[in-house]
This record gives sequence, C-alpha cells and structure tokens, in this order.
Amino acid sequence: MACGLCDKPWQFVTNLYRKSRCPMHQPARTLASVTSEQIEHLHRRFKQLSRDQLTIRKENFDSIPDLEFNPIRAKIVHAFFDKRNLRPESDGLADEINFEDFLTIMSYFRPIEMNMDEEQLDRFRKEKLKFLFHMYDSDHDGKITLQEYRNVVEELLSGNPHLEKESARSIADGAMMEAASICVGQMGPDQVYEGITFEDFLKMWQGIDIETHRNQDARSLPQHGDHRALLL
Amino acid sequence: MERGDEDVGPPSALWSQETVGSPKLAGFHLYHKLPSIVPESCLLILVGLLLGGIIFGAEEKSPPVMNSDVFFLYLLPPIVLDAGYFMPTRLFFENFGTIFWYAVVGTLWNAIGIGISLYGICQISAFGLTDITLLQNLLFGSLISAVDPVAVLAVFENIHVNEQLYILVFGESLLNDAITVVLYNLFKSFCQMRTIKVIDIFAGIANFFIVGIGGVLIGILLGFVAAFTTRFTHKIRVIEPLFVFLYSYLSYITAEMFHLSGIMAITACAMTMNKYVEENVSQKSYTTIKYFMKMLSSVSETLIFIFMGVSTVGKNHEWNWAFVSFTLLFCLIWRALGVFVLTQIINVFRTIPLTFKDQFIIAYGGLRGAICFSLVFLLPPTVFPRKKLFITAVIVVIFFTVFIQGITIRPLVEFLDVKRSNKKQPAVSEEIYNRFFDHVKTGIEDVCGHWGHNFWRDKFKKFDNKYLRRLLIRENQPKSSIVSLYKKLEIKHAIEMAESGMISKVPSSVSLSEYHEGKIKPLSPTEMENMREILTKNLYQIRHRTMSYNRHSLAADANEKQAKEILIRRRHSLRESLRKTNSLSRERPAPANTKRFLSLPKNTKLPEKLRVRNKTSSRVGDSSDSEMDAATTVLNLRPRAGKILRDQRLRQQRPPPEFRMEWKNEVDGSQDGQGEQQEPSTLPQPSIGFRQPLLTRPRFGTLSREDLTADHGSARPVPPPRLVRQASQGERQRNKPENEPY
Repeated sequence: MACGLCDKPWQFVTNLYRKSRCPMHQPARTLASVTSEQIEHLHRRFKQLSRDQLTIRKENFDSIPDLEFNPIRAKIVHAFFDKRNLRPESDGLADEINFEDFLTIMSYFRPIEMNMDEEQLDRFRKEKLKFLFHMYDSDHDGKITLQEYRNVVEELLSGNPHLEKESARSIADGAMMEAASICVGQMGPDQVYEGITFEDFLKMWQGIDIETHRNQDARSLPQHGDHRALLL
Repeated sequence: MERGDEDVGPPSALWSQETVGSPKLAGFHLYHKLPSIVPESCLLILVGLLLGGIIFGAEEKSPPVMNSDVFFLYLLPPIVLDAGYFMPTRLFFENFGTIFWYAVVGTLWNAIGIGISLYGICQISAFGLTDITLLQNLLFGSLISAVDPVAVLAVFENIHVNEQLYILVFGESLLNDAITVVLYNLFKSFCQMRTIKVIDIFAGIANFFIVGIGGVLIGILLGFVAAFTTRFTHKIRVIEPLFVFLYSYLSYITAEMFHLSGIMAITACAMTMNKYVEENVSQKSYTTIKYFMKMLSSVSETLIFIFMGVSTVGKNHEWNWAFVSFTLLFCLIWRALGVFVLTQIINVFRTIPLTFKDQFIIAYGGLRGAICFSLVFLLPPTVFPRKKLFITAVIVVIFFTVFIQGITIRPLVEFLDVKRSNKKQPAVSEEIYNRFFDHVKTGIEDVCGHWGHNFWRDKFKKFDNKYLRRLLIRENQPKSSIVSLYKKLEIKHAIEMAESGMISKVPSSVSLSEYHEGKIKPLSPTEMENMREILTKNLYQIRHRTMSYNRHSLAADANEKQAKEILIRRRHSLRESLRKTNSLSRERPAPANTKRFLSLPKNTKLPEKLRVRNKTSSRVGDSSDSEMDAATTVLNLRPRAGKILRDQRLRQQRPPPEFRMEWKNEVDGSQDGQGEQQEPSTLPQPSIGFRQPLLTRPRFGTLSREDLTADHGSARPVPPPRLVRQASQGERQRNKPENEPY
C-alpha cells in the first residue's frame, strides 16, 4: 500500500486505521489498539466466511445462519459493501471486500478503551453514528427521506407478520415528524422538510449514549414515590 | 394475660402514626424546597422520634417497638414488590453480573471485614467490650453490612442519578438479601452451637446457593402461575389486580416459610409478572395495579420510618463510645474499600467501565435502614447479653446514613457532576433507533461469530416467543416494542390534549404527508388514499358498543368521553388549519372526497378492507384490542371493526354491513346483528350495535347542528354527525344527500 498523500509505501501493521495513508499523514485519531488476538480471531472468521478466498462477496454472508433471523439483515450486509464506510470520501457499492475492509467495518464496533480522552471518544461516536446513518440512507444522497425512513421501520417490523404496512408507515411518519420538530422546530404549513441530514441525525442522537444506547440523561424511571405521571 | 395497655398500644400507636405521618407527608410535598434538601425518610424519622418522645413522656415506659414480624411480613413486601415490578429489567440484566458481584462478594467482604475489625477493637480491654466473642462480632457485622432497599429508594428518588447507577445500587440492595439471610442465620446458629466443624462452614456456603436460587425459583414459578391465571380472566376483569398482589405475596411468604430469601422471591415474581401480566390484563386493571402498588409501598415506607423513630426512644440502649464510633467508622471504611477493590476487578469484564465518580456514588449510596434494624431486634438476648449495645450501634449507623448521607448526597452528586436522569418523554424515533442499533449489534456479533450479550438475549427472546408467550398470554400477537410504544404515546397525547386543551407539539401525520416528497403538488388518488389511511390511524374512536351496567364491569367515565370528543374536535381544527393553507383545499373535488373520507373514516374504510384484507386487519385489530378494556374507548390504531369482522367470519354472516345506512339512519336496526352488544342500553337510545356513539345528544346537540351548518361550505371535515345519535328528521334529510355521492 502506498500513502495517498506522499506515496510512501508502508506495511499494514496491526492497527485498523491505516486508511491508505502512512502514519505520518494519518489523521490524528487513535490507532485503535485492537489486540492481535482479536485480529487473529477476525482473520479466522474471514477465512471461514470467504471459504479461503481473499475476498468476500455478498453471497458469503448467507452462510451465517443466525443472521437469517435478523430483520435488517439486508441492511447490515449492505453496510459491509458500502464504500462510504470503507473509505472516507468514496461512494458507491463494492462488489467484494478484502480482509482490511472487513476489519475496517468491524472496527466501528470495537470496545472503547479506558485511555481514550473526550475528543477521541467523540470522534469514535461520530464515526459510529455515521455508519448508522449510511445504513438508513440507502440511496446515498446524504439525507434520510421519509421513504427511506419508512423502509427502515418496515424492515424492523418485518419480523412481525401480523403487522400491517400502514402501521409501520404511520410510525415512521410520526418519528419523522419528531425529527422535524427537533431539527427545524415548529414548521409552518408551507415549509418543506426534505429529509434528515447527518447534522440533524447527530442532533437527535445527542442525548443518547450510544454505547449503552440509552439516554445519557436517562429516561425517567417511574420513581418510587413518584405519585404523578403514571400514564405510561 | 390481662388486657392492658400493651394490647391497645400497637394498634393505637399505628393509627396515630399513620394519621400524623400522612398529612405531614402531604404538607411536606407542598413546600417545594424541602424535598430537595431533606429526603422524606429523614422527616419521617423525626416525626417518629417526636411521637416516641410523646409516648415515652406520657406513659413513662418504652413505646411499642417495631415488631420484627410486622416488619418482615407486612411492611417490607409491598416496598420490594413495588420496586421489583417497576424495575427496568433490560438494564438490570445487562448489569446483572456487576450487581451480583457487588451484592454477594461485597456484602461478604463488608460483613467479615467489619466483624473482624470490631473483634479487634473489642479485644482492647480499655473499652470494656471483651466479653463480645468473635462470632457475635461476625453476626453483628453481617447484619449491619446489608444495604437497605428501602433507604436507597427513599434517598435516590430525589436525586435522579442516571439509570445505570441507580440500578447498580438498588439491585445490589435487593440481591444482598440472600447473603444477609444466610450469614445471619449461619452465625446465629454458630453462636448457639458448641463446636463448629469445617463441614458446617461448607454447609453454610451451600446454604447460600439454596437460599438464593430457591427464592428466585419460587418467585419465577409463582410469577408464571399468575401470568397463566390472568390469561383466563377476561370475563372478570375487576379482580385481576388481586391476582397480582396475591401471588406476589404468596411467593414471599412461601419463600420465608422455607427459610429461603423472600425478597429475592418477590422480586423475581414481580419481574416475571410484569412481563406477561401486563399484556393480559385490561388497561384499567393495569392502572389499578400500578396505583395501588405505589400506595401500598408509600404507606409501608412511612410506617417503617416512623416506627424507627419511635423505637429509638426508650430504654433499649446502652451507650459505649468506642463500640458505636468504631462501628460507624468501620462501616464507612469497609464499604469504600470494598467498592473500590471490587470495581477494579469487575471493570475488567465490563464493556463500560465504572468511573471513579460512579464508584464514589455507589459507596456513598450504601445506606443502612430498617432491615438491619429489625434484624438486630430479633437477636435472642440469651445468647447476646450485650444486645442493647448492638441496638444502639445499629441505630447510630442508620441515623448517620439516612440523615447525613441522605442529605449530603444531593449536593455531592451535583458537585461531582454525575450524569443525571432527565424526565424526557420517550420518543418513538428513539425506540426505533435503539431497536435498530440492537439488531445491528447482534448482526455484527453474528458476523464475527462472537457470542456476546446480545446473542443470549436474542436466544431468550426466541424461546420466550415460541413457548412462554404462547402459554401465558391470551391473545398472543408478537408485539413489537416500537408499536406498543407508539400506541402508548398516542394514548398519552390524546389524554394530554383533552386535559390541557392544547395542541401539543407532537404532530399529526397529516401535516407530515404534506411535507412528503418535499413538493406541493396536486395529490394523486393514491396519495389521497395514503392520507386517508394515515388519518384513520390517528382519529379517535369514540364509538363503542353499549354495555349494560354490570357490577362486574366498569362503564367508561362520562368525562373521559367528553374529553375525547374535545380531542377529536381539536384535531379536526388542527387539520383544518393546516389544510387551508395548502393545495389540497384548492381542488374542489378533492375536499368533497376527503370530507367524506375523513368524516367517515371507519365507514369508508371498512367495506374495502373487508373485501381486501379480512384476515390481516382482524388480527391487527386484535392486537390493539387486547390491551384495551371492552368497556372503555381508548385510542385505537385500528378500527374496532376488526372484532366485528372476526365475529362475522365466525358466524358466517351475510355480506359486509352497510355502514352507510347506519350513518344515514341512526335508528335503523340493521346493525343489530353486528357486534356483541345485545342488551338494551342504559343510555336513552336504541342500541345500534357497535357503532353507537356514546355522547348524549343534549350535551352536544346544539354543537352538532352548528357544525353541520357551518361545514357545508368549507372543507372542514364533519365530525359532528357521529355524535348525533338520534338524528332528527331534518338532520337525517341533510345527511342523506351528503352521503349519496359516497
């Protein structure tokens, strides 16, 4: 591999963020200290999935039995081949990915290390959210439109055979309106809300701690002795 | 035994305490600042002290001491039940390892540490404590190291730390009951035995597992029985709450009877019941259960603290500076050490390590309370000649933790800037994101072949769906949390809007469809169809079948109905104002159409739906019905026609009803075959079956007339006709031509 900026060749070392740049031109982010055991484990898994080939294609993911039950299976598999996740400025869909790409995707979900400071944590979180955003935004236009959102909700609820499509749709609509009200505030009847951009997406996730995927300012518990608000 | 003051004492004391305590509590909350500074428990103890002092002064003898039986059998279960029922189970199980670790190892650490160090102190002859043996010290250590759920609840409720911290401290306080019970009984029996062999120690350890696991099993078993019972209670809704309370108390008593951990039993029972019973019982029963549980636990808590205050005053004490102060010191030191050391170990296994702030709060939040208080009173005085000393020490520790730690924890939390909880409304989009993220994580775990936490949770869910839910839930529709949350929110908004008369910020989907595709353009029929369907979802169903009055069923509240009417009107006006400003109103034919559709949402939909999607719609109708009481009219996401459809199919009925006819001609009896109601209603209307609007005409009669006349020219949808039950001749005439194009 050669560095994109200075053309210096360098080895793929046991770190995950080599993003086709040499360490000198690496954006100043943590070189994730994934342990070599984890890399080995993932490598083994990769070999298993690819049947000892160098690359994986979409069909290889069919061999994972448990993934069948996942309602958003298609989106997850798609995310692996989404070039936006693999390299920062690219777009489109890859046909096949190699081990490095595989590791890149996996790195979005690596556990947080204790020694990360606020800025790194923030960046890490943002990357994860970007990954999620790409999963929502299936047409790669940088916005989550109503149709795409509906798609997501339908897929999520697809495991439930008795649920009508319209329920899913109305739920998506309600959620979209919530998004609109958070991002744009009160809208006049003539205003048009195009779709959720990444900034809006970030805003919505602001209060939620993505690791525990729970509110950092946690949802209120029905507190003991809380004699009101028992509506829910 | 002569009937003396003793017999009357406890009940009268109880009564007086309750009558004093409750108004005090009410007054306490009226003055807003006070709860933020002083936790309720402190005030209650003070009140108790006051009362105790009065009784002591008046009668010149010790006031009635809190009977340990009363405490353990009557006062403690409601609190634990309430806490277990409303525990956020997901968070609990995610942190289960940590909680368990703290509860078991932490309590052991504390007990033995305190016991041994106190023994060391007792050896110093200068303090005059040499007659207290090692075993007695260990016993004392075991009973004082137990973190108390009542105290924790009382203090933490005011400070609103984030859920994770709360669940750690509170979960620990619940689970350590098993350890406490075992240690206490173990050391007590050791104290009474001549010799102790090694085998006895192992028996003790084995006993712990039996006690803990046995308690949990009993709880789960009875929880399942309760869930199973409620599956069949749809005819007698009124006694549903009884089962919940009955079975949970039964689990507690059963466990205690076998000397197992009652607290763990009742907690396990409550958590199990919560999951399944909630879906079987009616909405009203659910509300009843909730409120009654809260009430019971409030009462118990009040009583406990007052009793503690009362029992403090009296002649039960023996003061020894050294013992008391060192007890307090060791409690604090060992707790802090224990939390610190244990956290270092458990952090290795956690995905989210606990920070120093968290550890501090956990250590500081380890409050002692009524459990150790009662346990110390249970000590047999023959074996413990220095019992009074123990009592004094326990009281000092409790007072210190409840008062000093209770009052200072709030400023400390703010000072340390611990993450607080925020009373934010759960949003549908949040639920969607959470679900989505869960699936992503599970998917990734599957891809990398790693059996993580999500894997086990998924497995349990599958098992649950396949076997348990089918067995325990009456109308088992696989429920999505997103859908149920959405429904709940809709209901909540409806009630809010009715109460406050305001249009809340949460949008109706109508306005959304105008933002659809980002352009304002003439809407095609399919889009109109979309909107109509969306609106159907969001319109509030006010019709329901009339029920005759029945002692075993509850009629819907008249105010509720009125509120819903108001709600419907407001939504219509909202829609109206939105519609006026967009292209929809510009097209003449469209409004005519929509007016039809909007005003007769269920009517229009029904015939088509009947032809096209009989089966599915009825099923979905079930799912939304299952959580609703037959007698109340709450928001339906699907029309209740689902039920009708089902009945129709069952009875192989004639073709779909002419709802239009019902519209035009209210008194038409053609609907009589429909729906379930048969009896003549108590309302002064001929029952028209399923579609009977429930508001009396006089109340809204004038309104409907006005609306009708006003509506003719505008694009406003026509809600009022629904209200008109006994349509007058004139109205009927007017209705007819309106409905003909449709």
